[in-house]
Amino acid sequence: MMASSHANELLALTKIEAEGRWTNRLSKLDWLWFAGLSISVGILVDVFNSQFWFWQYVVLAVWYVTLIAVGIHWRPMQGAFLTVVTAALLGVWLYSIGQTPANDIVLRYVLQGYAGVMWMVGFLLAATIAYLIYFFTLLEKVGRLATGLTWAGVLMGFIGLGVRWRETYIGHPSWGHVPVTNLWEVMVVFCACTSLFYLYYESRIKSRALGAFVMPLVAASAIFLLWLTFVQHMDRIAPIIPALQSFWMKLHVPMMFVAYANFTIASFVGLAYILGDRSRKRGGGGILARALPSGELMDDMMAKAIALGFLLFTIATILGAVWAAKAWGGFWSWDPKETWALIVWLNYAGFLHARTSKGLRGKQMAWWSFMSLWVVTFCFLGVNLFLSGLHSYGKL
Amino acid sequence: MAKQISVGVVNHSRARLAVNFLGSMRLAVNLLVLLAIASIIGTVLNQQQPYQNYILKFGPFWFDVFRDLGLYNVYRTNWYLAIVGFLVLSTTTCLIRNTPRMLREMREPDTAIASAYEPQRMANSITLHSPLSMDHATQMVTAILRGRGYRPKTHESAADHCMTVVGRKGRYNRLGYILTHAAIIVFCAAALYNADIPVKLAMLVGSVRPENNFHIPLSGVSKAAWLPDNNPAYRGTVTVPEGQSTHVVYELVGDGYLVQKLPFHILVKRFHVAYYSTGMPKDFISNIVIYNNEGKVLKEGNVRVNHPLTYKGVQIFQASFVDGGSLLKMKRYMLNNPGADAIRQKARVGQSVDVSGTSYKLKLKNFSLDNVVPARAIEAKPVKGLKHVNLGPSFTYIAQSKSGSGAEFKTYMQPIARNGQSYFVQGVRTAFGAPYQYLFIPTGPNGNIGLFMKYLSALQDQVTASDGKNTRDYVLDTFKRVVADYAPSMTARAEALYFQSAISAILQLRAYPAPFIVTLTGFDHRWAAGLEVTKWPATIVIYWGCAVLVLGIFILFYLPQRRILVRLRTLSSGGTEVIIGGTSSRNPYEFTKEFEGFAVRFKNVLRSQDGKKEN
Ligand code: HEM
Repeated sequence: MMASSHANELLALTKIEAEGRWTNRLSKLDWLWFAGLSISVGILVDVFNSQFWFWQYVVLAVWYVTLIAVGIHWRPMQGAFLTVVTAALLGVWLYSIGQTPANDIVLRYVLQGYAGVMWMVGFLLAATIAYLIYFFTLLEKVGRLATGLTWAGVLMGFIGLGVRWRETYIGHPSWGHVPVTNLWEVMVVFCACTSLFYLYYESRIKSRALGAFVMPLVAASAIFLLWLTFVQHMDRIAPIIPALQSFWMKLHVPMMFVAYANFTIASFVGLAYILGDRSRKRGGGGILARALPSGELMDDMMAKAIALGFLLFTIATILGAVWAAKAWGGFWSWDPKETWALIVWLNYAGFLHARTSKGLRGKQMAWWSFMSLWVVTFCFLGVNLFLSGLHSYGKL
Repeated sequence: MAKQISVGVVNHSRARLAVNFLGSMRLAVNLLVLLAIASIIGTVLNQQQPYQNYILKFGPFWFDVFRDLGLYNVYRTNWYLAIVGFLVLSTTTCLIRNTPRMLREMREPDTAIASAYEPQRMANSITLHSPLSMDHATQMVTAILRGRGYRPKTHESAADHCMTVVGRKGRYNRLGYILTHAAIIVFCAAALYNADIPVKLAMLVGSVRPENNFHIPLSGVSKAAWLPDNNPAYRGTVTVPEGQSTHVVYELVGDGYLVQKLPFHILVKRFHVAYYSTGMPKDFISNIVIYNNEGKVLKEGNVRVNHPLTYKGVQIFQASFVDGGSLLKMKRYMLNNPGADAIRQKARVGQSVDVSGTSYKLKLKNFSLDNVVPARAIEAKPVKGLKHVNLGPSFTYIAQSKSGSGAEFKTYMQPIARNGQSYFVQGVRTAFGAPYQYLFIPTGPNGNIGLFMKYLSALQDQVTASDGKNTRDYVLDTFKRVVADYAPSMTARAEALYFQSAISAILQLRAYPAPFIVTLTGFDHRWAAGLEVTKWPATIVIYWGCAVLVLGIFILFYLPQRRILVRLRTLSSGGTEVIIGGTSSRNPYEFTKEFEGFAVRFKNVLRSQDGKKEN
């Protein structure tokens, strides 16, 4: 009798313990996500077994783990990833059966890299307008539309990039490269990444008001992209110089842009904080005070974006140094781009340290974050436009 | 976080104050920002240019000021290194001061935490009343915490009859701090090592002195400019013509250089450039052989951009390329005697040759194998689909006479077709840096300018013989005669085209700055590969430093230390009072959400009726 009740008790405790496990909180879709990715990676390894070298396995493993974690942490990523991969593979398949943008409408108007990017630009511009309208009217419907348009832009951007990757090989197999080698391609990456990360933060803080701050910058980048396309014709696929034909470059550049995306978001959240703070101090009757989330929430989001940006920026800079070591024989040459990367890094290290000490809080940190936008923008664009150096491949 | 770090100062001695100052967060922030600002200088001002450039730019006064501030090589100035050094010192102080405490905290038994904290006072807190007995509730609480990965420890306090459960997650978060800061210190140390500290010291003591004369053979370089053979780290460059080898590299220092002997010889067998169809270089490749003093081959392979070759810790990179002294076969036509046979001559790029019969000297400057230009630059209407054309080999030379007149010439070897007529093309410029003016001389049926020279000669003879005749007629008559003599197979159409082109070439020649035309008839091409050779044993330290840095940052940001403290006490009215508190070292918002989830779970499991939340 005693023994049995004891056993029951244990069983109940075990059940309580098991119910709390994080694996218990995974949905069926999460398991499917995990299984699907595992199978895909298995297939990739099987197919490319003979071509991969050590670091390619490492990169694959990092992708695998990151995608699983990100997909479970933020479920919309699962669908987004699947959509992008499926559509991009469809485009690649169309090319492989001999279709071209000239004779295939799907390629011409949708899936072709160039078309995908133009769709992205259109959606993101529309999304920006929707966010601005939402900000002033707080109409829930418009807000949902804005989010939806941003998603559409992000998806089309990544699909376009994926198909363009394949396109670089078409006609000139020796030209093939990951589409992160000129200013045009890199601006596409920037627009798509910034929007994607913005969507992530939006869903975390459950407020759409910050879209009216972040998305205008994305829109400005998209317009810059249009200028690059129609005036500079930088959308043309061109071969890449020997220094850029590097395994490390392929990792270094996109990662830099993911970091820039986070820094950019943080700086506009900083701006929103400053304006919101001012409005609340004036009595809080204005649109700003009504629409914006609480100051603490924005402060927290800003710090989070900078933390993630800082981590990625650190890795990206290290990858850049590894690339430099392979291409030029030295990790660090004090080339202007490298030095500006260091300046950005030191700036944010300063920010993170300042945040951990009591004295600096709230508004000061928001100003710091906002002003850092100029440092980041100079590193990303200014160096290429105004200074010379080894990284001048991005020149106009 | 840092709040707990900078407090606790009791001893106010001076040394103590200095240590506190050095290890303070405020100093770290200021140093980081100061270093960022100082770094900007070197990106605005082009570094390590020849001093003349700076003098031209700033004028003598500011040139001196900026030089004394070291602005021409900021990152090696003492003041810049001092900021870095100070930052390292500060980080080290901070690390040394904080590490023991953090390690202690990591290993701190949970019981110590149990007595040090009050759950009600924690950032998140809630009090519940459960009908269950204290023991039973404790078991439940433990099970919940264990399920969420909190490793609970129970601690019974006999004094006040209560039970405390402590759950911790991310106990090693502080390790993140230790790893990042240690990595930064290691990193800076390795970077300083790379900044040739040993060589700097040797130069300071005077045992090593750079050689300033770039025009002497290796054997003539003063012994003081040779670095020790067993130098642990070096980075030098060397230019090796195809077919030749080297056993040294050169390190540029200020306005001179140092010589480093390599532990082997490098023979450059071949260098070549691969091109895309657009004419853009696709790859630069040196085919090299590494051999020892006895001539034994140790390693053989290709050095390409992004693909260095390593032998025994020494890495060889493809850095640049120049002409390595190609042998050029030339033909020279004298304009004052165009009828004479062309004079043949051979010389290598880099050499100077006399032009017999004149006071001119030719300095052969360069040879390029390929000249790919946009098709539009040549033909008004390019052949469809052909965007770029390769004009073939060209060479450049400077002709200089004793009287001082001279010009630079860029001459293409192959005739270039344009609107149905082929031309010998030569660029001429009399001022360095000015754009070339192009001279187009039509080539005859045998592909050279011999026919044109014969015509020129005939015209010159005619001019002296037939004064007063109709100019138009004799120019044309002479042409007919020359064609009949030297190129009888020419069609009428070709003749007409040729004649027109020849006349405009003759007009162009009026402004021609030299009394001869040199054409290229053949070549024996030889590249020289510019190689960079480095030895740097600290590389591996840097890589590990980087890995540790990234790991440390990840731990700091994403594995925050979270603590849940649950205190249970039997109530006199029956049942148990359960006070739950929680804190996180980071992301308070996320933790609040997690804590709310916890609260719901505790309420359900403990069957609490009157749980009230007091956040
Ligand atoms: C190149 C110099 C340095 C870099 C790159 C660096 C980097 C970092 C980073 C990334 C963090 C994490 C910040 C966060 O938790 O938000 C951190 C934390 C910290 N750093 Fe530094 N640091 C440097 C120098 C210093 C110096 C000189 C000190 C000396 C006072 C210092 C003291 C601290 C402290 C006390 C923390 C907080 C640790 C914690 O949150 O647990 N750091 N540092």
